[in-house]
Amino acid sequence: MSQTGSQSPDRVSTISTWQQQPDNIVDGAESRPTVSVGEHSLASVGEAGPEQKSEQVTSERPTDEQILAQENQIKAEEAQRHSLIGGIEPLSALAKEYEAGSSVFVNKIKTVEASYRAIRRARGDGNCFFRSFVFAYMEQLVNLQDLPERNRVVTCIRQWEKKLVEAGFEQLVFEDPQMIIIDQLNSLGTLDPLKVSVLESNMLDAELANQVVMYFRMLTSAAIQLRADFFAPFIMGMTDEGLTVEQFRRRCVEPMGEESDHVHIVALTDALQVPVRVVYLDRSLNVMAGGFGGGDSSAQVNHHDFIPETAPSAATATAKPLIPRVHLLYRPGHYDILYPI
Amino acid sequence: MAQFPGRSPTSVAMRRIQAELNEWLLHPPEGCRLESFEPLLNWVILVQGPENSPAPGLPRLYDGELFRLAINFGDHYPLEPPEVLFVPPSPVHPHIYSNGHICLDILYDGRNGGWSPALTVNKIALSLRSMLASNTNKARPAGDMDYCQRTRGRSPKQTNWEFDDDKV
Repeated sequence: MSQTGSQSPDRVSTISTWQQQPDNIVDGAESRPTVSVGEHSLASVGEAGPEQKSEQVTSERPTDEQILAQENQIKAEEAQRHSLIGGIEPLSALAKEYEAGSSVFVNKIKTVEASYRAIRRARGDGNCFFRSFVFAYMEQLVNLQDLPERNRVVTCIRQWEKKLVEAGFEQLVFEDPQMIIIDQLNSLGTLDPLKVSVLESNMLDAELANQVVMYFRMLTSAAIQLRADFFAPFIMGMTDEGLTVEQFRRRCVEPMGEESDHVHIVALTDALQVPVRVVYLDRSLNVMAGGFGGGDSSAQVNHHDFIPETAPSAATATAKPLIPRVHLLYRPGHYDILYPI
Repeated sequence: MAQFPGRSPTSVAMRRIQAELNEWLLHPPEGCRLESFEPLLNWVILVQGPENSPAPGLPRLYDGELFRLAINFGDHYPLEPPEVLFVPPSPVHPHIYSNGHICLDILYDGRNGGWSPALTVNKIALSLRSMLASNTNKARPAGDMDYCQRTRGRSPKQTNWEFDDDKV
């Protein structure tokens, strides 16, 4: 995968939760609900087979209700801390988070400040890459009133209709979200164009915003399917299980809340022909090339440009897609939007 | 145009369910019939036991049987899965409890779940039919009685499921 390079030392941590699944599969038994040891199951000791008795000895597992309640609490706390998409903040606001902690981060943020003026945060709900990408891209179209690019991307999205169906999606699962996206894009250049404030409120509206995320997840999945031979070795190598392309799409791309990895970004930037720059902010002390930040290696910050592979026919005509349109900040497990100076 | 004043959360779900209903009525999945879809958020599907055997020489386990499948959509459909369960008596199957709860990853979201908004009721019904068609062991899951006792009156979506990989 020529685009992905090797500049994200933390990419392993972005591989989403399915990595932990082997631990959850209990001794190859038939699939079944977690046997919880609570008052209910104790009440039925009399009928329990040997299998259940052994679990009572070994386990202090929380009950299903406790587990689900805890998951919901974590979600609710994140929702309270961060709205789906935040407002524009200076990078100093980010530096504040690390003042008490890692000086590596603080120094690196200073480096980032040389190229970027601001950040806009996305909620850490596993959809942050898609949310950040879509918001940053559309906000730029609005701000620049970039009608040629709008026309290009609307055509591109319409061309994907057929390919989504080829990749196994029913028309009815993507037509509404596709319309939500195209309606917003098409309002540019009319008497009532999309404004940033409206884009913000649309992307704060959970149902609308998640429809948009859902669409781009399907598009990413279809793009992976259509280049399955290209992606298969990378997907195979990402886990011990050696997921197939089909399993990867079904488990790690299409469901909401599954975190994004390089494969997702390569597929989506290719599908839409929108180049993306990801700036990596992590604890590592880098000596690798390709970053910026001058001589002090402790403050050097790596970035990677995801440049779509342009179709051969268009390759000569378009030098333009090579310049990143979207800039994202990556911290281990999370993406936010960056605003270049 | 860009503000979508008419699209409340519920209307997103309702539009999608209506679209699935239209598609179902045009192309119902094999061996399934929609018995009721009123109100639109609660469907009951009649599922015929598959006529074929899982492999030549093996018995046809569900031939001639008829099951009722309840699909209850929530306001956040399709971002969240519908509640799906058999109305007892449920098919006797190692992944189906006698209270109708079904252990199948695509029916649930969250940590272990495999639900995605790209799935439809049509696809769910087909998966369940194929789960029955491929079964060779007509038995209840281990701990069936205990499970049904613990989950009395609760939705299967409140169970913390664990799934075997790709084995139905």
